[in-house]
Amino acid sequence: MPLRTSHEPCGSFVARDLPHITRAATRIPALYDSNGAGLAVGDLDGDGDQDIVLANLAGANTLLWNEGALRFRAEPLGNGRIRGLAIVDVDGDGLLDIVGTRQFDKPVWWRNTGVDDADRFVELTLPDVHNWFYAQTWADLEGDGDLDLIVASYDAEIQKQQGLIFQYRGGGVGVFVYERRGDGYISHRLTDQADALAIALPDLNGDGRRDVWVANDFNRLDDVWVQGAAIDEWTRFTLPERISENPMSLDLGDIDNDGVAELFATDMKPVRKDEATMARWLPAMRRLTKPLTSADPQYAENMLLVHSAAGRWRNEAYERRIDSTGWSWSGVFGDLDRDGWLDLYVVNGMIAAGLLDYLPGNELVEENVALRNAGNGRFVAAPEWGLGAQRSGRGMAMVDLDGDGDLDIVVNNLMTPAQLFENRLCGGASLLVDLRMPESANTHALGAELSLVTDRGRMTRDVRPTAGYLSGTAAQVHFGFPADAVLERIEVRWPDGLVSVIEAPPRQHRLLIVRT
Amino acid sequence: MIHIPARRCPPLVDLIHLRSQTALFVTLLLVSSAGSVLAVTQARVPLWQATAGALLVLLPPFVRKWREDARRYGGAAMALSMLLAFQGFHTIEHIVQWIQYHILRWPSFLSNGLLSAANSEWVHFVWNWGFLAVCIFLVCAGMRGWWGWLLLAVATFHTLEHTYLMWRFQVTLRELGTLGVTDLQPQGLPGFFGRDGWLATADITQNTFLCRLPGFATAPRIDVHFWWNVSEMALLLPAANDFMRRLNAAQDVA
Repeated sequence: MPLRTSHEPCGSFVARDLPHITRAATRIPALYDSNGAGLAVGDLDGDGDQDIVLANLAGANTLLWNEGALRFRAEPLGNGRIRGLAIVDVDGDGLLDIVGTRQFDKPVWWRNTGVDDADRFVELTLPDVHNWFYAQTWADLEGDGDLDLIVASYDAEIQKQQGLIFQYRGGGVGVFVYERRGDGYISHRLTDQADALAIALPDLNGDGRRDVWVANDFNRLDDVWVQGAAIDEWTRFTLPERISENPMSLDLGDIDNDGVAELFATDMKPVRKDEATMARWLPAMRRLTKPLTSADPQYAENMLLVHSAAGRWRNEAYERRIDSTGWSWSGVFGDLDRDGWLDLYVVNGMIAAGLLDYLPGNELVEENVALRNAGNGRFVAAPEWGLGAQRSGRGMAMVDLDGDGDLDIVVNNLMTPAQLFENRLCGGASLLVDLRMPESANTHALGAELSLVTDRGRMTRDVRPTAGYLSGTAAQVHFGFPADAVLERIEVRWPDGLVSVIEAPPRQHRLLIVRT
Repeated sequence: MIHIPARRCPPLVDLIHLRSQTALFVTLLLVSSAGSVLAVTQARVPLWQATAGALLVLLPPFVRKWREDARRYGGAAMALSMLLAFQGFHTIEHIVQWIQYHILRWPSFLSNGLLSAANSEWVHFVWNWGFLAVCIFLVCAGMRGWWGWLLLAVATFHTLEHTYLMWRFQVTLRELGTLGVTDLQPQGLPGFFGRDGWLATADITQNTFLCRLPGFATAPRIDVHFWWNVSEMALLLPAANDFMRRLNAAQDVA
């Protein structure tokens, strides 16, 4: 299907408010309501437009049906107390469901019945998943055609709520891999404690299998495992010598187009180091962080793990000027200017009673940061893109919402209206790809890798359900490239390893590739 | 005129030699070291207090030695002798701090050398200006030549960095005050060099090789100031030797 040609004036992103505000239980959010909530994007009704689901803490979640031309119809979904969201086909019926991790309860599964009315979504729980989790992601870890669930808890919040009882009960929930078996799940516990804000599934050892990286808040080291031959075989991975101390978000992206995705984590480090900024930051950082020894690999700054030819992972965030983006939450890669290089957008801000009580409104007001990939994985600030909102953003996703082929952005802010940023950068061209495997329970081909080969080089993307902080990303893959690039072919590596090739794909189209 | 006997060792060694105070110094060093160890390990006296006590005990032989230096060589040589002692200990402090952080793996806020109470912006600011002032005095008194000028240059830049740090400290303190935060001292902010320092983060250096210079734009603050002081000591020693050689030659002619 050809993409819509945009006739709007070009220049920068245009911000619009969405009819949703994530609120906390108190007027000024306390820890850990201050963590906010996520969102997810996906085509829930199969009409070709990407819909939006926004989680809430105190108040109903919001489902925004995309009616085209950036018009949305809002309807409530559930009663809130939702942290993270993902849109995945849980039961393999071809319809995208919604899964939310909850505060102080096990995850909720809104099963998509396909009925086009108020009863479309039925609220259920995932069979055999009984623990309280914070971060989630999904993948076909075994390559058996169904979706497994990887989840992790945020014990600090549970302890705050339960107090000493939590310690008495063992003091932790941890990280679980739920292996799909028929209509249920078999749980494999990887560790019994976590303060997880994000989970990513990089291939750390290049064996073609997804490994697990759990980003833990505070001084708790990240938990990282390499998958063995079976889904219950996990080996601890030796951490690189420098990682984030308080990672809030994880995203994978091939920023230098070398075919290997880099792993990016956001943390808390001011962009500017002037004295006024330092004064606003220092009291909170002294309260929140603990001084670490030189033997500890954790540093309070963003992390960009780059895989070297020698096979080692090295943090190059500082060298590439993306070590500090503010008090950062979701950080996601996407080719916003369609030049063939993945850019980066990070949403920022913090509101917390008790922690920031020396600032007006208990808020550290920070601007979101857009970073343009200047080529080969070097980044420069792009304030001219108009993405510098100061709304205390948390969850965020990038997806084409208006059908013109470029990536728009949705942000779930805390205590202020959520925002949609319409992309009007107008450069380059696009190709959107949707994959389907109707004969598999992994109907949307999560885990597939796509490479677009052009006369300018090769771009690699993958189909995944989550990215950034507590947020679900669309299964649709976006390729941006210079307007005069010649598209030679698309190579699709399906989750089971088989490869399909589409020669000379059309530019400015949305392709639907169905595996039969 | 004081008759100086023929010399068989480098002039610098002549200057730093404790001479008649050697036995007293060695005795007091053994006593104060043992006392400090006992105080720290048995009486739980803070390390910095034990160190300060030991230094006080060792002060008398040094004072006598410096007075003798003044009689032998003049006031400038005495100033140089004092500078060598103080900067020598200061360099040892930074070496100890480096060891605490990189070898013993202590947290940065505990890696303060032996005199932790002295690890503050004010102390570093005053110390460096004092060091620079004495260097200028010595250069005017004849400590010239390559080593002397290099030392002066390094000391000047080091002092400028600490002046910049003091300025940052004061301005940040004022900003904290406007926010009503009065119980926090903004110690340890980055200066010109090192990780997150001016060179690494200034607008003017972005997208140039300067903002990524290994060490200059990447080293932690502990390493930056370790290298400043080791460099100053490494330049002070040959500069002092040259100065003493010229001084001795002038006295011999006289």
